[in-house]
Amino acid sequence: MKKIAKILLASVFVLTFCSCEDFLEEEPKSQISVDQFFKDQGDVESVVNSLYGSGVLNRYRTGDFQINEMLGGYLSGFFENERTERPGPFEANNLTLNSDNLDAYLFAYWRDAYDAISRANTAIKYIPEVEGISASEGNRLLAEAKFFRAFNYFHLVRDFGDVPLITEPYESLDNLYVARSPSEDIYSLIIDDLNWALTNGDLPKITFYSNGHRITEGVVAATLANVQLQKAGFPLLGGAESYAKAADAARLVINSGNYSLTSHGETLENSAFNKNRTSDSSNETVFAIEINQQYRQSNLYALTVPKYAAVPGVIPGDVWIVYRPLEEYLRIYDPAKDLRIQNHQLWYSSIDRNGLTYDFNGNWAPFVWYDEEALFETGKTERDIKISTYSEILLIAAEAIAQSTGVTSEAVEYLADVRSRAYWNTDRSQIESELAGLSKEQFIEEVWKERLRELPFLFKTWSDIQRTRMYPVTSAENPGEVEFVNVIGHINPYGATYQEKHLLLPIATRVKDRNPEITGNGY
Amino acid sequence: MKAKQIRKLLFFGAIFCFTITQAQTTVSGTVTDATGPMPGINIQVKGTSVGTQTDFDGNYILENIEENATLVFSFIGYSTKEIQINGDTEIDVNMEKDQESLEEVVVIGYGTARRSEITGAVGMVSSEELSEQPSVNPLENLRGKIAGVTVFSNSGVPGGDNKVLIRGQGTINASTEPLYVVDGLQMDNIDYLNPSDIESMEVLKDASSAAIYGARGANGVVLITTQGGLKGGGLAIEFKTNVSAGVMANKRNSLYRPMNSEEFMDVQRIAVENAPYFRDYPEGDEPKLILENDLLFNSQGDPLYNTDWEKEVTRTTFSIDNHLSIRSGNEKSSTGLFINYTDDKGIIKTSSLKRANVKFSYNATLAKWLSMGTDFRLTQVWESVPEVEGSGVTAISRAITEFAPIFPVKWPDGSYSNSTQTGGTSLIQEGAPNPVSVLNEVENLVNRTNSNGSIFADINFTPELTLRTQFGFVNKKFENKYYASKEILNLGYPDGRARIINNSSLYWQNENYLTYEKSLNDSRFTAMLGASWQAYDIYDSNISVYGFNNDFFKYNNVGVAENSNPPQSNYNDWSMNSYFFRGNYSYNDKYTMTVTGRMDGSSRFGSNNKYAFFPSVGVSWNISEENFMSDIKIIDMLRFRASYGVTGNSEMGSYNSLATIYSGTNLIGGELRSTSAFARLANPDLKWERNNQINVGFNLNAFNNIIELEADYYYKLTSDLLLDRPVPSITGFTSIVDNIGEVSNRGLDLMISTRNIETSKFAWTTSFTMNYNKNKVEALGENDEDIFPGPFWVGGSQTILRVGEPVGSFWGYKRLGIWGTDEADEAASEGKLPGMIKRSAEKQIIGVGSPDFRGSFINRFNFGQFDAVIDLQFSQGAEILQQFVTTAEDRQALTNGFKTQLYESWTPENQNTFVPMIRHTVLSGQDLKVDDHWVADGSYIRGNLISLGYTFDNKVIDKLGVNNFRLSFSMENAFVIHSNDFKGYDPESNGQWDDSNFSQNIFFYSYPKARTLIFGLAAKF
Repeated sequence: MKKIAKILLASVFVLTFCSCEDFLEEEPKSQISVDQFFKDQGDVESVVNSLYGSGVLNRYRTGDFQINEMLGGYLSGFFENERTERPGPFEANNLTLNSDNLDAYLFAYWRDAYDAISRANTAIKYIPEVEGISASEGNRLLAEAKFFRAFNYFHLVRDFGDVPLITEPYESLDNLYVARSPSEDIYSLIIDDLNWALTNGDLPKITFYSNGHRITEGVVAATLANVQLQKAGFPLLGGAESYAKAADAARLVINSGNYSLTSHGETLENSAFNKNRTSDSSNETVFAIEINQQYRQSNLYALTVPKYAAVPGVIPGDVWIVYRPLEEYLRIYDPAKDLRIQNHQLWYSSIDRNGLTYDFNGNWAPFVWYDEEALFETGKTERDIKISTYSEILLIAAEAIAQSTGVTSEAVEYLADVRSRAYWNTDRSQIESELAGLSKEQFIEEVWKERLRELPFLFKTWSDIQRTRMYPVTSAENPGEVEFVNVIGHINPYGATYQEKHLLLPIATRVKDRNPEITGNGY
Repeated sequence: MKAKQIRKLLFFGAIFCFTITQAQTTVSGTVTDATGPMPGINIQVKGTSVGTQTDFDGNYILENIEENATLVFSFIGYSTKEIQINGDTEIDVNMEKDQESLEEVVVIGYGTARRSEITGAVGMVSSEELSEQPSVNPLENLRGKIAGVTVFSNSGVPGGDNKVLIRGQGTINASTEPLYVVDGLQMDNIDYLNPSDIESMEVLKDASSAAIYGARGANGVVLITTQGGLKGGGLAIEFKTNVSAGVMANKRNSLYRPMNSEEFMDVQRIAVENAPYFRDYPEGDEPKLILENDLLFNSQGDPLYNTDWEKEVTRTTFSIDNHLSIRSGNEKSSTGLFINYTDDKGIIKTSSLKRANVKFSYNATLAKWLSMGTDFRLTQVWESVPEVEGSGVTAISRAITEFAPIFPVKWPDGSYSNSTQTGGTSLIQEGAPNPVSVLNEVENLVNRTNSNGSIFADINFTPELTLRTQFGFVNKKFENKYYASKEILNLGYPDGRARIINNSSLYWQNENYLTYEKSLNDSRFTAMLGASWQAYDIYDSNISVYGFNNDFFKYNNVGVAENSNPPQSNYNDWSMNSYFFRGNYSYNDKYTMTVTGRMDGSSRFGSNNKYAFFPSVGVSWNISEENFMSDIKIIDMLRFRASYGVTGNSEMGSYNSLATIYSGTNLIGGELRSTSAFARLANPDLKWERNNQINVGFNLNAFNNIIELEADYYYKLTSDLLLDRPVPSITGFTSIVDNIGEVSNRGLDLMISTRNIETSKFAWTTSFTMNYNKNKVEALGENDEDIFPGPFWVGGSQTILRVGEPVGSFWGYKRLGIWGTDEADEAASEGKLPGMIKRSAEKQIIGVGSPDFRGSFINRFNFGQFDAVIDLQFSQGAEILQQFVTTAEDRQALTNGFKTQLYESWTPENQNTFVPMIRHTVLSGQDLKVDDHWVADGSYIRGNLISLGYTFDNKVIDKLGVNNFRLSFSMENAFVIHSNDFKGYDPESNGQWDDSNFSQNIFFYSYPKARTLIFGLAAKF
């Protein structure tokens, strides 16, 4: 018995050496657990902060040997990428893209957009619950969150059509498999969000730069103008009502007095286009992605010099033209009149460096992204990436007014503002009188041409084709002349024929695999 | 002449002349045991090399031996007998089974067991086998020694890069590494352990043996016992030194070597000539090859340089490895001191590993009922780690093939060349620094300080009942210092870049267990009951800066840099609390049953699943002890074993069950603002992977123990896989960690040892081990959907997880060939031209990286004072995904590449090929996709070790005060025979994808392995 007692005693000793209740509790120290969060203004503000430069905005800044938002340009058949080995450009040029060969690319687009939407939803849910936040501060944060939610949904609905409509943050795994909602519902949410931000958001009525790179009323209004313009055309055909609303939103920007077109300096090096290229804070910029050498970098400057030019002293190991316009595109400009197609304005075909000229073998590249200091000295650019500009808003206004109320003097004035700056040797009154004499349809086509010439770096070429379903056909004999033909059935410069399905992107295989409710887009 | 010198002379003289004259006689007789005559018994005249063996009838005869000699009769498994002749001419001997050998004990978790009572699958490597191969990393000594224990040696990097896989991969996201237990202390790796003081390594392969380690046992357990003080008493000093030379082991197949300057220029020329074939150029605007650069070309356009980059970055190395141990002891205590210094240099210049290692061990018996002991190890490691394997253009192993040979290492002005310096020419080269400049001007230093140790006390309550209480810790400090010079394109250019990473971790464990042992008549009973507490935390921080005015300060003064990335720090911890027991009952030495159980609690799992129970049961039946077997003479021992058990895998990151907020910063208005976002959804049900394993096996010794056979069949099913379950992106999450899916492994472990020849003059033994393993994904996710786990490279994940297929199946297109001229129309419909690559429309499974069969064939010889080992290892049934094919062969003109570009590429005259027409990547585009042209048969036979040793006769060296003196000469990695399709250095690698569970045999370029010649000297005093 004594022995058994000994064994028992020893066993008890062994097993109860330390039986602390909380020994297995987890307390992360470098992450915060959710129940400790959303307590004060700083918490929700930091969720809103995470939306800047993220989501679909990433597409304007990053990509694998390209910038993702360039996909539309490749689809139009007007632009190509010299780095052909990465999936995307080649498939888009040849219209051989599908759910599989662009899976990585399409999946990232979808994921990044919903990632931002999810964070915006989190902010929108929790901002009203935070105590001690002032009404105006709360509304400003809510307006920013709603803006980013709308901005991300806008890209999704434009490029994918019907998409799942998610307006609440996921906090459990319930309701994982949501089907696609009609595009109309998505547009309704987008427009509601943007209108809410304009009406209740208490957003500053100053420029994006004056506002410390935060969302302003102008940014929201410019986005709304874009949204209404897109909605007015295909596939929703919102028509005159949407055009009128686009015009109203554009006027909000125009009449704010905060924005203006940059004017030319004395020399061609100091033209408005070069001023815009070298300066971030001009009043022409409405919305941009902030770039900083240290914290948010852009390699656009390295993606606009051809390797074969062999310019000595280039800092990045690799330089490429990733957005090379084809001859078919460059012919939208009349080289006799248009400053934009002169070398070293919007485009360039050679680099002058240390007194020598390095030729691009007859190719052209975007000069807008050329940054001499970054290329040859620092290896890092400070130039912001423009998402929306005043010239774009003027062109939206001109088209929207013409579409909804006809070729008014106001519409003529807006288009003439943009065109006369580019036609630097042409009298403005001549331009105005030519425009005023046009029919509604002719005038609208003039706006479309001007958009092609003025906005290639806002990547509007493809979204214009998406909404108008008209493909611009240029002329080798008469540069500057453009004929618009039905895109469906048209053959692009790569010999590929557009079908209706090409106006939306394929849904990534991984998106479909993960959610059986998601159907494809006919690829 | 001094006495010392005389002794030396005698010493060497004795080796060469050894003559004895005395009265001689002849002895004969028969050797028997309980069952009858015994053939093959060793008989030796004591103190001489004279001896013989019994014939098939057990008879022997020995002639011309001294009348007063002593005969030594020995046989494995039997007690050795010594009989003095005393003038007899006929001596019959009856051999008896060696009780001690029957009772040979094996280390198992929390205790030891008799070898004859093991019910599971436990592999053993003795210190003799371990010391055969002089290596820096103890895992290399384990390679090929135990069936079912695969040690992949994936790189030639100093110190080795080994990955251990026991009985196939049973997990997808958790670690695949076994648990290491060094003298009772649990560790997650043993990379820097001193191999020379290891006494034995045991591997617990099946669930019945590993279940005692519960949630950490699913990948198997490697138990390591190191030497302590001297048990018996006295003083023993041992010194070992190895000096080795490493040379490049394998020159690659000549067609897969980089082109020289002339060939490189041929490809450049053809690529430009072909440009109008791929794209229309206006007349006169066709690209031309211009070579106006007098630093690179002479006036005829011939290149001035022809640099062999492989030669420039590799070297023949000399490494040393010294070991000293001092052990002493008396009746009450014992002490051991073990010192090791290693300087291991890699065959890529500047790569090296130096290691200093000290271990101190002390044991004392304080009272009849109490003994205590401690072990303490301190290891310091200094490494220089140039980036050899990587996917970027700066990786050395890539640059060997791809950096153009037309560049010099340095220009006449003393500056390093880089590939952008092609001014005046039309050459377009992918921008990269030359590999020699990367080796010399980019520093990547790693310092590690590891200390670990334990202290224990054994309390004997009664002779049968013992309590062991042990406390152990492992403390690791890691420091990485990096600096890339301002000169080095892509890495430091233009203003220098420095990085410092620090981390320190502390693990501690406290384990207490009671052992009760009792023998009663024919029964033997052992029981063990214990509890364990473990905790681990790690803190890391890193700083990264750039913008230096000069290259002086490097990482030593990061404050002078003009810019910095946001500094980072991170904290992580986990803890476990466990209870375990084992019962072992053995009856009549015939029947044994073992039952174990472990209850594990871990912080890493969800609040609903903090604890889990891991049971196992095993039985064994010693058939040869049964009466009915006594007539079957050819069988000496036959034992069946069967077991079933459950183990777990909890090796995943912490906090995965909690919903957490990610916090960071974002640029807004020129400043960083704090940001946050949901990082993870909560999963309170998260738990360990569950591994159910059945093992059935037997041990057979036959023909008087000439053949020993051990065979085990196993089936293990891992369920509740810790899976990054993909969720729809609309949630804002990419995946959540969940327990979904099943993977099975089934296979056979086989080990055959034979004693082929055993005479007093010559002995030859063979050991053959083999593992056959079949791996299969049984279930995945919610709907068995495919998962693409990476590595991600050139268009998506290169492996797929698909139900019914092995894990790590390669995923890509089939290369059907090259479009021919008669297929122009068909090619055009896919946007292709004749000369371009023709692939299948859909991706499919194009290979598997893990072998079907793997094993070793080791022959050991003894002749006189010499011993020799020939150790061959083989692998069969795996494929290799040679990612470098894409850049070295399919992507042309942008960099240098394989000679196949020039000699095997498609031309209208050579259409039957898999190499596309020469096409200038930049001018004419390219078509890179993962396809089965990358895949090669990965089977191989490796000459792992060939060694020859000479042990001086003790009689001779005794006089010098030396007990044992051995010289050896060995060659490691002597040769590799592999398939002709394989285009790299060594078929066993995972290149830069080291961190992926699915990357075995997938690599871009890899660190070439050395063939190492080692001269070793070992002396015991």
